Amino acid sequence: PGESGKGKPFKLLGILDVENDPCARDPVLHGSLGSAVAGLGYFLLTSRIRRSCDVGVGGFIVVTLGCWFHCRYNYAKERIQQRIAREGMKNKILYESTSLDPERKQTNSSS
Amino acid sequence: MAYPYQLGFQDATSPVMEELLHFHDHTLMIVFLISTLVLYLISLMLSTKLTHTNTMDAQEIETIWTVLPAIILIMIALPSLRILYMMDEMNNPLLTVKTMGHQWYWSYEYTDYEELNFDSYMIPTTELKPGELRLLEVDNRLILPMETPIRMLISSEDVLHSWAVPSLGLKTDAIPGRLNQTTLMSLRPGLFYGQCSEICGSNHSFMPIVLEMVPLKSFESWSSSML
Repeated sequence: PGESGKGKPFKLLGILDVENDPCARDPVLHGSLGSAVAGLGYFLLTSRIRRSCDVGVGGFIVVTLGCWFHCRYNYAKERIQQRIAREGMKNKILYESTSLDPERKQTNSSS
Repeated sequence: MAYPYQLGFQDATSPVMEELLHFHDHTLMIVFLISTLVLYLISLMLSTKLTHTNTMDAQEIETIWTVLPAIILIMIALPSLRILYMMDEMNNPLLTVKTMGHQWYWSYEYTDYEELNFDSYMIPTTELKPGELRLLEVDNRLILPMETPIRMLISSEDVLHSWAVPSLGLKTDAIPGRLNQTTLMSLRPGLFYGQCSEICGSNHSFMPIVLEMVPLKSFESWSSSML
């Protein structure tokens, strides 16, 4: 079975499976980096510790959300393209050499 | 099928279950971000020495924490409704199978062409062959063709039961005197396991469901051998 071979998957806060969820690992990694950069940068500029932590957490949420939206959008586009390709392959096998074959229609129109 | 200590979903076998997994990934990320924010706010509140008791109103923050949750709820509700309506789409089933819940076994009827029906009892643990799964194997599996929309009509002869197959995203109550309908389509061949999902007596945990999805030719030869 999928996950038991490599042991239990690592889950952030016990819920987010970053190993197996598409669009979980990269946004969280980018978010962590963004959080560190934002928090550290704010601290270096202002030397305010608590506010830097707030900026860090805010940065984590914003960067994770942004990366996640981008990833989900691309993933959805990919799934649609895969579905179209799968249907196309199935139809090609089904309709090859029949009157419904789209390649045959193109050849007829060009000749 | 499930494995020990499993927390997540089983792999999807039907298009609807794939969509549900996709939706779960979407919603879980939202839940994770909200949980992170709330945990951080709680830790801030617990670690501050400041107190402030004079606030009479705070229009801006109140607007934000009203509008933002509404937006989040819409972001969750729209994909959810899309899948809900997708589950009810017309899909022209090619086969109808009836399943009746009993205490404590399932019976299946294929009555489209000829009368074919059989009971499906759990194989007791003492009678299992090596490699078989405890509390999940049955004597007669429900054999169905793969990549074919199939209509399942589910009811019960006695008490409430529920016919569930997690990897297909199916769970439908079996109610005496009522016929519930669901549609089933498997994208690949194999064995898919489920268990009764409505408390129905002492052996509620011991009436599993096993679907054997096979290519159409194999299904045809099996059904003609059974008649």
